[in-house]
Amino acid sequence: MEILKISENDFLSFIDKKIDEKNEKMIGVVKKGSHFIFDELESSENLALNYDVTMLPPKKYFQPPKELLLKYKPGDAESYRAVNSCDPMAIVGIHYYDLAAIYMMDRAFSEGERDEHYMRKRENSILIGLYPTKYFKYRFAKSVVRDQAYKVADLMMVKMNGDYVVEVVSEKGKDFIKDGNFVESGYSLQDLDEAKNSVKDDQKIPIPVELIPDYLGKNHAHPVWETFGEKCFSCGSCVLVCPTCYCFDVRDEVELDLADGKRIRVWDGCMLEDFATCADGHNFRKEKGQRFRHRIYRKGKHLPEKYHYFGCVGCGRCQYVCSADIAGPVKVFKYMEENKQGGKNV
Amino acid sequence: MCEDCTCGEEIQKNSIYLPEVAELVSKKKMTDIDSFFEFELKGRSLGHLPGQFAEISIPGIGEAPISISSPPSDENTFEMVIRNIGTVTNAIHNLNIGDKIGIRGPFGTSFPMNNLKGKNLLFVTGGIGLVPARSAILYALQNRADYKDITILFGCKEPAQRLFTDEIEEWKNRNDVNFIETVDICEEGEWDGNVGVITTLLPKLKNIDPLETYAIVVGPPIMYKYVIMGLHDMDFSDKKIIVSLERRMKCGVGKCGHCQMDNIYVCQDGAVFYYDDIKHLKEAI
Repeated sequence: MEILKISENDFLSFIDKKIDEKNEKMIGVVKKGSHFIFDELESSENLALNYDVTMLPPKKYFQPPKELLLKYKPGDAESYRAVNSCDPMAIVGIHYYDLAAIYMMDRAFSEGERDEHYMRKRENSILIGLYPTKYFKYRFAKSVVRDQAYKVADLMMVKMNGDYVVEVVSEKGKDFIKDGNFVESGYSLQDLDEAKNSVKDDQKIPIPVELIPDYLGKNHAHPVWETFGEKCFSCGSCVLVCPTCYCFDVRDEVELDLADGKRIRVWDGCMLEDFATCADGHNFRKEKGQRFRHRIYRKGKHLPEKYHYFGCVGCGRCQYVCSADIAGPVKVFKYMEENKQGGKNV
Repeated sequence: MCEDCTCGEEIQKNSIYLPEVAELVSKKKMTDIDSFFEFELKGRSLGHLPGQFAEISIPGIGEAPISISSPPSDENTFEMVIRNIGTVTNAIHNLNIGDKIGIRGPFGTSFPMNNLKGKNLLFVTGGIGLVPARSAILYALQNRADYKDITILFGCKEPAQRLFTDEIEEWKNRNDVNFIETVDICEEGEWDGNVGVITTLLPKLKNIDPLETYAIVVGPPIMYKYVIMGLHDMDFSDKKIIVSLERRMKCGVGKCGHCQMDNIYVCQDGAVFYYDDIKHLKEAI
C-alpha cells in the first residue's frame, strides 16, 4: 500500500479544489455550536478535523433519516416507480470506528436480498478516514474494532508532525487524490503506529469481544436487563445515534394536493415501545428489559455470529446521549461482571 | 434524483421495494371483520408455496404483510383472507372488483409438503391461523393420495368468527378428512358443537400415531405453548411439530428488523419452522 503525505495547508487547498470542481459533493466534519457534525463543505475553512465525535455518524448519507423509495399517484397501483438519490460524494475525516460501522451496514444491505437504494449510494461514495486526534471520554473503540476500516476506506489519514500521512487503500482513493500535492512519505506502516494510537481510550469493554456472543448466551436471565430496563425511558436516542443501527420503518406520504404520493423509509429502533407490535396489538417485546436485552444481543451476539465482527464499534455516542445513563455497552458489561448472580428472565 | 440520472432504470429494475400490480377479481365477506379476496397478478402466477406471505400495497396508504390462503397454482390468481384491523387492511376491504393493488413476494418459508408425504397430517389451527394453514390443507387434499390420515382441528373465539364455513362443511362431509372444531365461548343455544379452547380437542383424538404424524400448528401467539404441551402429552417429538409464527413483517427482505426473533429474521427464515429448530430460541414461543 502506498503511503503518501501532504501538508495541512496543501490538504485544505486540495479540498477547496475538489469543492470547486463539483465532481462530487464534498462532505466533512464541521463545528456546530459546541459539537461536531458531518455536513456538506462550502469551503475548507469549515472543515474541523480535530474533533472528538460527531453527533450523528456518516450513516445518514447512505441510509438517510427519511429516504424516498417509491413515487406514485395515490390510488393508482400501476404508477409505482422506484427512485433513488445517489449523487457522487466524498466524505472527509471519518474516524476508524465509523468506517467499521459502514462495513457492517454494507454487509447488512448487500448480503441476502441486495438493497440497491443503499448500495448505489455507497458505490458512488469515496470514504476518507482519519485516526482520531482528540480524546472523547465515552469512546472505547480500541477494545472492539479490528481491521474493518480498511475494508471500506478509500484513503486513511493520520496526522503526523503537522502533515497528513495518507494510506492509499483503494484504486478509487488513488484516483481521487491524483491531482493533489500528495508526495511519497518515506514512512513504513510501523512508523504510523504511534500516531494512530496517540489518542487513548479510557473506556474498555471488560470482556474480550470474541467471547461476548457466548457470554450473552449464558446471561439471558441476568439481572442487568430488568435493572437497566427499568431505568430506560424508551426514547430511542441510543439507536438513533448508533452507527450500526439500521432498522427502519416504511411509510406512505401523500402530498397536500393528493396528486402525488411517496413511499419513504425512516429510521426506526428496537428500543421504541411498539417496534415489535403486530396488527392485532400483540407486542413481542413488551417489557423494557426485553427491548434493552435485544439491543445488546444484536450488537454483542446476533451481528457477531452473522458477520464475525462485534456489532458495536465503540463510538460512545449512545452513552453520551442516554438521559438515564444506561445505554453504553461498557456500562452494561461492567454491571454484568460485577453482578454475576442469576436473575429473573424478563 | 436518480429518476433523472443513468441509474433510474437500474433502480426500477432492481429495487426490492417496488411492487408489481395485481387486480381484485372477487371478494366475499366471511365475518364482521374478515373478508376473502381473490387477486389476479398481471402476466404470471405468484409461484408461492403453502404457508408463504406477500406484502400488499395500497398507494397512499401503505403496505402490509398478508398470508396467502390458496394452494400453489399455475393460474395467475391467488387468494387471501384479510382481517380489517389497520389502515392498509381497511383500504383493502374498501376495494371494488377491478381495483388494483401492489404486491411484493411471495416471501418466507413454506410448509414442507414434500417431506410430509406418506405421513398423517394433524392441523391444529386457531382463529385466522386457519388462513395460512388452508394453503397447506387444500394442497394436501389436491394431492390426497400422497398423505395418510388428515385431521384438522379448528378453534376460534366464538361461532361468529368461524372462517371458510362452506369449506368446513365439505371437510366435515368427506370421509377421508377428520375435521373437529370448537369455540372458546358461545351464547346459550347459539352453538351445539364443542366449547373450550383448542387444546381441549387434542384428548379427543384417537389412534394418532405420533411417530407417523406431523402436527402443523398455526394460531395466535398465546396458542403455541399450550398446543405444544398437548402434543408432547401425545408423545409427539419436536421434529414432528411444524409451526408458523406471527411477527411484525415489514420489509419482507430481512433488513428492517421488525420481525426479528433472537438472531432470526422471521420474514425470511420463517414464518414456517420445525419446532425442533427454534425451540432453543428464547423469543420464539
